[in-house]
Amino acid sequence: MKMDFRHSSELVIPISYGSTEVIETGRWGFQKPETVLMTAPCQEACPAGNPIPQFLYLAAEGRYDEALRALLRENPFPGVCGRVCFHPCEARCHRARYDESVSICAMERYVFDATSDRSVDIRPHRNHHSKQVAVVGSGPAGLSCAYFLGLLGHQVTVFEARTEPGGVMRWGIPEYRLPKSVLKREVRRIVNLGIEIKTGVKVGGDLSFDQLMDFDAVFLSPGAGSSLPLKIDGEALKAVWRGKELLERINSGGRIRLGREVIVIGGGNTAMDVARSALRLGSRVTVAYRRSRDEMPAIQEEIREAEEEGVRFEFLIQPVRVSLLKNGRLAVKFQRMKLGKPDQSKRPKPIPVEGGFVKLEADALVEAVGEAVEWSWIPQRLMSRGLIDVGPSLLTAQDKVFAGGDAIDQPRTVVTAIASGKKAAISIDLYLRGLSSDDFLSRIEVGNQGSLSMEAYIAGIEQGRWPEVKDVVPYERINTLYFEPSGRIRERKLSRDKAVKGFSEVNRGFSPNQAHASASRCFTCGTCNYCSNCYFFCPEGVISLDPLLQSRAVDLEHCKGCGTCARACPRGVVEMREVS
Amino acid sequence: MKEFMTGNHAIAHAVKLCRTPLIAAYPITPQTPIYEKLSEWEASGQLKGIMMRTESEHSAMASCIAASLTGVRTFTASSSQGIALMHEMLHFASGCRVPVVMANVNRLLAAPWGFWADQLDSLSQRDTGWIQFYCENGQEALDSVIQAYRIAEQVYLPAMVSIEAFFVSHFMEVVDLPEQEQVDRFLPPMDLPHKFDMDKPGFLVPVVPSELYRKYKHMAQVSMDSVKGLALQVDQEFRNEFGRGYGIVEPLMVEDAEVVVVTAGSITGTARVAIKELRERGYRIGLLKVRLFRPFPGEAIREALRGRKRIAVIDRNFSLGGGGIFCQELRAALVHSPDRPLVFSYIAGIGGTDVRPEMIERVCLDVMERTEPMDTPIWIMEEGS
Repeated sequence: MKMDFRHSSELVIPISYGSTEVIETGRWGFQKPETVLMTAPCQEACPAGNPIPQFLYLAAEGRYDEALRALLRENPFPGVCGRVCFHPCEARCHRARYDESVSICAMERYVFDATSDRSVDIRPHRNHHSKQVAVVGSGPAGLSCAYFLGLLGHQVTVFEARTEPGGVMRWGIPEYRLPKSVLKREVRRIVNLGIEIKTGVKVGGDLSFDQLMDFDAVFLSPGAGSSLPLKIDGEALKAVWRGKELLERINSGGRIRLGREVIVIGGGNTAMDVARSALRLGSRVTVAYRRSRDEMPAIQEEIREAEEEGVRFEFLIQPVRVSLLKNGRLAVKFQRMKLGKPDQSKRPKPIPVEGGFVKLEADALVEAVGEAVEWSWIPQRLMSRGLIDVGPSLLTAQDKVFAGGDAIDQPRTVVTAIASGKKAAISIDLYLRGLSSDDFLSRIEVGNQGSLSMEAYIAGIEQGRWPEVKDVVPYERINTLYFEPSGRIRERKLSRDKAVKGFSEVNRGFSPNQAHASASRCFTCGTCNYCSNCYFFCPEGVISLDPLLQSRAVDLEHCKGCGTCARACPRGVVEMREVS
Repeated sequence: MKEFMTGNHAIAHAVKLCRTPLIAAYPITPQTPIYEKLSEWEASGQLKGIMMRTESEHSAMASCIAASLTGVRTFTASSSQGIALMHEMLHFASGCRVPVVMANVNRLLAAPWGFWADQLDSLSQRDTGWIQFYCENGQEALDSVIQAYRIAEQVYLPAMVSIEAFFVSHFMEVVDLPEQEQVDRFLPPMDLPHKFDMDKPGFLVPVVPSELYRKYKHMAQVSMDSVKGLALQVDQEFRNEFGRGYGIVEPLMVEDAEVVVVTAGSITGTARVAIKELRERGYRIGLLKVRLFRPFPGEAIREALRGRKRIAVIDRNFSLGGGGIFCQELRAALVHSPDRPLVFSYIAGIGGTDVRPEMIERVCLDVMERTEPMDTPIWIMEEGS
């Protein structure tokens, strides 16, 4: 310490005009704080590995452009996912254990909507080993794969048999859940990366499977676009529809008359989409499902909204015959069912009740009991039980051919399709670099449930900076004393009467105030949000934070290792480690 | 101008007259009326300073120290548990050489709980490096606060002015309020050689090596010692300006006294009556009032008691295992006196019990019958108790 005692004989007390900085008090400590960024449970649960705490932190700060960029690093479809995702993230939200989960899905949508008046630039990385990749099918898996390959600097051509890209997002999900304008904006952003989408090109017709082999790598994502038949008598009647085909007709703007009463068979999302669309076409709708409500595979919100809109449900019945009545209506004979022991799907198996039958009449019947892959154009050796067979890296039985989306054995949701597209893009990039995916995929995992981080991959493969794999934050690490209890914020919705009059989007999203309040509810588990708690509590004043540069630094030469910052961190980001 | 007022309000008037710009305090019975009066004046604009309502007495003293180091006059008032809580900061105040002035209303220390007069609270702080005055009544308290600023600001040491709970703090007496111009003439604006300078930021209370610590403590002792002479001089100047004075000790009828009673604080007033009575009955009794306790005016006391044989010290305080504190100090001061008087220790008025003139008479008669003093003090209580 430099102390100025030049005038000490005149002074009555010592005054130091130097600084105590020269005293390296940091040497006194036997432990030091370390910033330990961890994976939030929501992030682990998201198949796409969305950086949820990070984007919510930025959204809470009103930095929506940055929030969108954060999302776009891991997911090309925030506008779509923010509307149609089944959001497994919210079920794992730590806040749910405290009061109610954060509205993550609605916030993803809000970030997209709030930035829709401007373009957020996404630039591809320069790649000296740029290769040509073909993608077959432009659904969420195909476009996701194309997008990430584009980001990695490859030249991608997408072949789409239909007239417009989007797959299930364009032709399956109805307008009232996902407006076409939203999809258009998302696709435009992908095309702007330099991705070529060739619509109206059917592989197996306009282009042979073998011609795909001219590319350096191929990604197959044809989807599961054809509805499975019920295989019952009367199925061929004109008034009996297949769910997928019906939705496609509606999404093509076709004029459809279903009649006054419609029966929809099935309990999945397609059945819900069909039922609610039929309501909007002016019909009275009954959904017939062979199990009970609890076993319905559709997203809970979809079921609830269908109920609210006036769809009726008949459970534990299964159609056995459809016949045409003289008045032109359909008579549908149902077998009564009961629930038995769990089957392969781990749900109770529906068993026929002997002699139990019901007859219902309707003007139309729609079968929505599942979809299959149309694979006539794919070599049989790539297939297994109607699905494209893939290994852990999504490589098929054929060299340089990868596959994903609904055509492989995985849950059929938009976000899992996006996730498989991302994984395939990474596997293809590694393949094109002559590297084995086995060595790398485990290094970029987000949590332990298979999600991958593209940001981590790019940092590793481009700059050799492979980040440490982060643990998932346990609830106990969150210092809940710092959070005021607050309720989950719900999105605004069209009234029932308005909703069923047409195909306008039912969910109206958050107001700006709702969005701010909702984002601010996030604990940002495992991610520093520059709340300044450590800064204010530090008795030594050795912590510096810069929220704009997103940097957090500790002056270790003067940190005595008291551990106050670790105690004061609400989100478990600071950990004390012993000095060796 | 003469007014009828309590001792507490007399102190509040002194603070206002001294134009103290910063008051930091925490309320505590029986001091609260000082705090309240100053607050009232702050609210009405009569007090030009800032009242800081701190969260504790410890913080009040810390605030006074810091404010003083910016070069302004400061004041606080406290009592009993409050001054006990301040203890750490009392050392800082004298160590930082800040002329903070504090009024302390002597109240017993818990436990058991009580609010009554007892000097142990401030006497427990005798080693903290504060100048200490013990006052007999409201007038003296007012005058002593003004003098305390004059003294403290010359020696850069804090000063405490004590009055006893209720007997002085709440009893109303006629007080002669000085004119503002008189006080302004007597008390120049404060100036410190060691204050915070915005243009040259410095750090106070740095770690110092042993030799420097010793040096600063020695310097403090030199300053403290000078207070004995300075206090007398200031009191004389005060007398010149205001027509009243007290000295640092006050001997009364000691010249021919067989027994000298020594008191501090409000008991002095009672003793004046008792001694007059005894004199009329033919007893040669004198009185010595000790007003300045820190620094302890040993020389002045030896001078006042020259040739006396029997001294009876009455303490309204008691150091458990030691005895009456004024008596201890007095014995230590007289140990080198060539007269080697016998010093007897009496404890009276503990816990705010009333010390009546008859009790003082009993002390005087008792001391004349004794041949030699004991270590253990003699407790004087009401007849029959």
